[in-house]
Amino acid sequence: MLQGALAGLAAGGVYAVIAVCLTLMAQLVKVINFSQAAIGMFGAFIAVMFAEADVPQGLAVFLGILCGVVLSGLIGWIIATWLPEASISARSAVTVASLLLLISMSYILFGTKPKTFRAIFPGPAFEVGGVVVSQVTVVMVALAIVVAIAAKVVLSKTGVGTTLRAIADRPVAAELMGVPVKPFAIGVWLVTGLIVAVAIAIVAPTQTSDAASLSLLVIPASAAALVGGFRRLDLAVIGGLGLGMLQGATAQFPELSLVRDWIPLVLIVVFLLWNQRKEVWDAAR
Amino acid sequence: MNTHADVTAGAGASGTLVLDDLTVSRGIGPVISHVSLAVVPGSITAVVGPNGAGKTSLLESISGVIQAGSGSAVFDGVDITKLSRRRRAKLGIVHVEQGRAIFPSLTVRENLQLASRDASVVQSTLEYFPELEKRLDSATALLSGGEQQMVVLARAFAARPKVLLIDEMSLGLAPVVFLRLLPIVQQFAATGVGVLLVEQFAQLALGISTDALVITSGRVSYAGPASRLLDEPDTLRKAYLG
Repeated sequence: MLQGALAGLAAGGVYAVIAVCLTLMAQLVKVINFSQAAIGMFGAFIAVMFAEADVPQGLAVFLGILCGVVLSGLIGWIIATWLPEASISARSAVTVASLLLLISMSYILFGTKPKTFRAIFPGPAFEVGGVVVSQVTVVMVALAIVVAIAAKVVLSKTGVGTTLRAIADRPVAAELMGVPVKPFAIGVWLVTGLIVAVAIAIVAPTQTSDAASLSLLVIPASAAALVGGFRRLDLAVIGGLGLGMLQGATAQFPELSLVRDWIPLVLIVVFLLWNQRKEVWDAAR
Repeated sequence: MNTHADVTAGAGASGTLVLDDLTVSRGIGPVISHVSLAVVPGSITAVVGPNGAGKTSLLESISGVIQAGSGSAVFDGVDITKLSRRRRAKLGIVHVEQGRAIFPSLTVRENLQLASRDASVVQSTLEYFPELEKRLDSATALLSGGEQQMVVLARAFAARPKVLLIDEMSLGLAPVVFLRLLPIVQQFAATGVGVLLVEQFAQLALGISTDALVITSGRVSYAGPASRLLDEPDTLRKAYLG
């Protein structure tokens, strides 16, 4: 069971990274980005396409990540340009459309079969009590923690962070102070696009590698972000890692294999109900 | 009263804001129709009128929150009618929105630093609001209503405006706090800043203003010296009735 839980840490790491990005986007640009993982998926598929065309692996991965960053920036630009003062629901709906578009595009461009990714971090990192911990696991967990800490430090200790928090509080008031709100918003999209593209490029070789499976990593990541209420980065990381370990542990029991994929959805329902436990009916609607 | 010709004549003056025949639409129809005015440096122009007259829309059209449908707005000799909010802010037009537009997740210091990174500017701004000195590292959300309005004004002052648009400063404040803030605005205007002051408390606003504009149903029903409205209550009453 411990072996299974530790094996699930790699997936937990990517859940945590995406959850941190989802939390940052919800806080800073007021959008639940359902296309977050699909952006990374598309970048990873572009990397495979270049690798298959005999481009060196390092360059192929770089180009794939660059594609993810550009895609994320493009979606951010569309929302910042045409929906700058729209509700979070309307903005999030655009990302659902982007998710479907990216999955469809990947089917058209790359086919529907799973891709073979070359591992960026192959092999085991170390062994604890007979349990092997892979390099991918170590890198993903470290990436999740580093991203969360770096985001926290930037937001609380730097001028850029202060400006971002002001924009998150009152974008119109910030603009009236001369703050370039649109470039900052697109910057958030670019940075989160970069982080997720890197994370998925690293973890893709260990996951089910078809477009839909990689894109729907956003579901367990949303469950993890919900643990932190889309506000707390630390709880988003803990939620992501915990969820990955729980899924890994249940994978050890064949009779629970069907339950495994439902765990994030159950968690989402439980947290939504928990968060609204004190709401009266009219407010909850 | 400022006629169209008066207003056009003032357009070239440095630091002067000139609106010429400005019309602003919102939803189904115009909320501001054919408004002309000039705000010169160092003056305070009170904008008063009944609820829903279009006072807030007037300020929003100047700062760029909403776009004017026709007419022009010229500031410092630059046509700002089609400029973005940010460009207008960079030119020196600062808008204090109604409802205490603080950045609640920021501390008082961060709110001020957002307007100016220059420590001496922040320090000189705090001389207007000594109450805020001891609250610099407090989260703005935790301050009282009066203190929050001081933060909003201090942030606007720190941005070194050439024209300051203040919308309903008294909203939600105890009268004693509002009375404390009015002389500060007057003091700040005396440094050469043109102020356009939208206010429900007409008598108090007119008391510190040099000029006045009464707006009813989106149209200017009076434009002229503020003192005349104070001296002739009938004129004010007639202007309110349009």
